[in-house]
Amino acid sequence: MSIKFNKINIQPIFTSLRKIRHQMNDLTYTILLMICSTTIAFLFFFSSEKNTANITLVYILALILTARYTNSFLYGICSSLIYVVLVNCFFTYPYFRIDFTLSGYPVTFIVMLAITLTTSATTSHLRIQSKLLSEREEMLQKADKEKMRANLLRAISHDLRTPLTSIIGTSANYLESNTLSEEEARVLLQHIYDDSTWLLHMVENLLSVTRIQDTNTKVKKTEEAIEEVISEAISRFKKRQPIARLEVKIPDELLVVPMDALLIEQVIINLLENAWVHSRSSYAITLSITHNEKEVAFHIRDYGIGIPSEHVSTIFDGMTASNSKSIDGHRGMGIGLSICKTIIEAHRGTITAMNCNPGAEFIFTLPKEDAYEC
Amino acid sequence: MNAKFTVLIIEDEENIASFIKNTLINHDYKVLLAYTGQQGLSLINSQCPDIILLDLGLPDMNGTDIIKSVRSWSSNPIVVVSARTQEYEKVEALELGADDYITKPFGTNELIARIRTSLRHSNRLLKDSPLYKRPYQCGNLYIDFLKRVVMINQQEVHLTPVEYKIVAHLAQNSGKVVTHSSLMTYVWGPYTDTDNKILRVNMANIRRKLEKNPAEPEYIYTEVGIGYRMKEDEYAN
Repeated sequence: MSIKFNKINIQPIFTSLRKIRHQMNDLTYTILLMICSTTIAFLFFFSSEKNTANITLVYILALILTARYTNSFLYGICSSLIYVVLVNCFFTYPYFRIDFTLSGYPVTFIVMLAITLTTSATTSHLRIQSKLLSEREEMLQKADKEKMRANLLRAISHDLRTPLTSIIGTSANYLESNTLSEEEARVLLQHIYDDSTWLLHMVENLLSVTRIQDTNTKVKKTEEAIEEVISEAISRFKKRQPIARLEVKIPDELLVVPMDALLIEQVIINLLENAWVHSRSSYAITLSITHNEKEVAFHIRDYGIGIPSEHVSTIFDGMTASNSKSIDGHRGMGIGLSICKTIIEAHRGTITAMNCNPGAEFIFTLPKEDAYEC
Repeated sequence: MNAKFTVLIIEDEENIASFIKNTLINHDYKVLLAYTGQQGLSLINSQCPDIILLDLGLPDMNGTDIIKSVRSWSSNPIVVVSARTQEYEKVEALELGADDYITKPFGTNELIARIRTSLRHSNRLLKDSPLYKRPYQCGNLYIDFLKRVVMINQQEVHLTPVEYKIVAHLAQNSGKVVTHSSLMTYVWGPYTDTDNKILRVNMANIRRKLEKNPAEPEYIYTEVGIGYRMKEDEYAN
């Protein structure tokens, strides 16, 4: 934060100066400035015809620099005192002698002191402000994370309770009733079977998130061939949705990308399932891959009803779980999508959703090279 | 089949053990149950089951120790039962000598197919057996191991020697998972790099030669993080 702040009002010369500044403590810095300015002042003094105005200006600059980049008022005030004495001693008549009787001397001193104080005050003010700003930003981030976690938890408990209630109710029904026909019993068992399959899918989703301890930590990546990951994801998806129609287009060359294959598979399955269940269309979903030098993009496109426009921007936030349920009567994919986002972000990729009339397209990207910096 | 095959289930979850047991009994297998590793080992020693279904997460000992101990004196097929997220465990078990694995939760059909495949391969240990020389056939894919010919729709497919070696090895183990490292060792010898990129490249080429759509393969399936599995030979059963 502080770096960003400084960039606004400091020129490149000062950037390098600041770099040097970072290497030493305040006292060395002040003394060094003093030596530099005095050397320059002496150069002026001996070369030109004793231009006192220039010499004073050099000292004022040194003073400003001291006040700006030291952490305490004290350095600025002390150096202004010393500079006044130096100017008085060396560069004003009588040379090399301290003479406080010189007219105008108090004015010089007061002006120098004023400059020091103003600069120091501005500096510390800036410092406090930038600290406040960065603190506020940190708090916002924390609140954001907290909010996301709370949303996720709410969505999870809602989404898990529904099938569990249904399973418990249905099995109790089965156990308590003794007048069920074979056909009725079959229907009940089928409900239990469906609900538990769904529950399992959800739990697998959640388990996959435990592989990412924190959104900031990196996932364990290995080089994987995209076509292999896709083909396994598709076969798992088809096991769950045997009637789903799907068209897959992959590039001719072999693409190898670093990733946690299990997590990316989960993302592909979630997006395919989302496209199939929520598009309310029997038109085949397409899954296609595009790539450039930097990244590989996965496109999942359906030709159904699209995403309600008010949800497009928040679809990955885990909030839509309960809302979307009321819209199309299917269980929400809220958790599924927010998990997708978590996974892709942990891979340093991006994920977006958009309506493309007809239907919707979800695109996620993965970087081709593993960025080692953190 | 004149005698029933005996299956030993080593699984600590009673509900799961009883569900597997019922399934197997319905499919005409004789079933032994063990709830702990110790129990399992003593049953293996006393009853000599034809195949062992082993859950890796046991309360009293590590599942991999059971594999080690069994492999020290027997080549009985072992099928490992494990959860989806534990690839490393699976690879370790396979490398220690387990024949195959099945991921929880599994369907009845999947379970029976795995058991059949493993039993079939265990009878094939003699390379001279006629089963080993008989061509592989599945769908439109046909492989003649004696003539070293691979055909799709009666059309010969040209494979490089390395590609043929990979395909033939997978076909001879059809229905069973073959790990990356065992495939690497088989094709390039025991001192190859651990980096399996070269295998990936060869597999990608094979897929483009054999499969209609490489993203939805019909014959060679990928088990990400573990290895490859070729579709079961049609005349296997």
